[in-house]
Amino acid sequence: MINITSRIIVVLIISTATIFSAWGQKTITNSIGMELILIAPGNMMVGEFKPPYVVPEDTVKDAKHPIIMAMGEGRGYSTREFELARQMATADSKPGFKVAIKRPYYIGKYEVTQGQWKKVMGSNPSTFKSDDTDDLPVESITWDQAQAFVAALNKMEKTRRYRLPTEFEWEYAARSGRTGDIPWPEIQKSANLNKKTTLRVGEMAPNAWGLYDVLGNVWEWVEDYYNEKMFADPVPKKNGNQHVLKGASFTGDVKNATYMTHAAGPGNGWDIGLRILMEK
Amino acid sequence: MKIPYILFICISLKASLVFAQIPEGFVPLFNGQDLDGWHISRTSHQGTTGNFYVDNGVLTAKQNPFGQGSVLLTDKKYADFELYIEAKIDSFCNGGIFIRSTESAQAYQIELILPGKTGALLGEAMQISQSADARDMERVWKADDWNSFRIRMTGAIPTITLWINDVMMWEVTQPKNDFTAGAVSGMIGLQLHWSATYQALPGGFNMPGAWRPEGAHRFRNIGIKNLSEK
Repeated sequence: MINITSRIIVVLIISTATIFSAWGQKTITNSIGMELILIAPGNMMVGEFKPPYVVPEDTVKDAKHPIIMAMGEGRGYSTREFELARQMATADSKPGFKVAIKRPYYIGKYEVTQGQWKKVMGSNPSTFKSDDTDDLPVESITWDQAQAFVAALNKMEKTRRYRLPTEFEWEYAARSGRTGDIPWPEIQKSANLNKKTTLRVGEMAPNAWGLYDVLGNVWEWVEDYYNEKMFADPVPKKNGNQHVLKGASFTGDVKNATYMTHAAGPGNGWDIGLRILMEK
Repeated sequence: MKIPYILFICISLKASLVFAQIPEGFVPLFNGQDLDGWHISRTSHQGTTGNFYVDNGVLTAKQNPFGQGSVLLTDKKYADFELYIEAKIDSFCNGGIFIRSTESAQAYQIELILPGKTGALLGEAMQISQSADARDMERVWKADDWNSFRIRMTGAIPTITLWINDVMMWEVTQPKNDFTAGAVSGMIGLQLHWSATYQALPGGFNMPGAWRPEGAHRFRNIGIKNLSEK
């Protein structure tokens, strides 16, 4: 009796663990070989802006940086400049706002590749293409072309509904539970940056929820219109002239390859791609 | 009636003085009143909103909000051209004049920084094959005053020449086209450097010296001669 009870408890524990691990990690593969990861609902803070300013002693430490060197080694703020920096940084700070992601969704584990684009659209608009570039991200696409891809995929599969993620859905998946901004050494490990071309998807380190290349490689279109502000509004605009781009590209660096960056198209073209969402 | 007439004369005189200083054969790129013909890069790593404005006829760049920079770009692209621009730059503010810039502000750059290598040829957001340094700046540069830059750029593999206050600083022919995707034309840009991240980052660093609080770069008499149209 004791043995049977123990076995039941063990089985229950294992099952429970499996369910929990599956929640947020479950991956499906669709008809064009695209892997999508299940993202569980939750909350995040968006647009928290607290620009750091440094006391003169800290500036002296930074003097090893070549640009600082060029300006005079060890040159720090004067007392007046430090006070101005403190006042400006404090006045410009924003607490951000809470965003609730209420429904689970699947999002691309990788950026849409040239091979996947060809299967759906029958063509390849990319700049960086050859006979062997199916695993590179598709690029040189406008927001309208991204929408056309989603529409064509929906038509092909019929039973599932794909779309571009909203900026908040994108950022929530990119943050993968992180509240603060990302330390630069981590960005360097996960993002293809400061390069002359794109890299095959999935070559860099994934984020905590298993998504690759959310930072760097290609900018990714999201559904939202751009508000011409540093961050999104709590209620995104319903119209506008441009659409939001997230995640930076291979031309970016650690300064803009952060999920906080709220950019907009058209950008360069040849470093603009997409990652798509599948509704659960 | 007399006062408005005098005002009209004064306004006309001021306007003509502003435009009169663009060398003959150059087309104005800046009207002295607004940023018509220019736009902010929304994908530059310097920042996406920027703070460029016209103050008393002068195109002014100043950080706002704190720490965020930006790049202001012409709406038009130019292949072979000669650019004329006058700049007055506060010290400890890192800016630059971008040539053949992409929309996300990859470009060849004429550095503007004091103290430092003002007039140097550098790459912005890209590696360039050959850089160059301005020379004799102690003699040529007018401190705390307006200084003129004339920049000529020609060729798919670009040859770039710089004059400051009509003194030739350097001429460089790159060994190759350094641009991603081999661009042979691009926009004129003005850089306002970032100096702080969105938040303090463990393991990262900031660039407090890149833009002094309240510092500004100012530009006027901007004109271009399109050499591709000849």
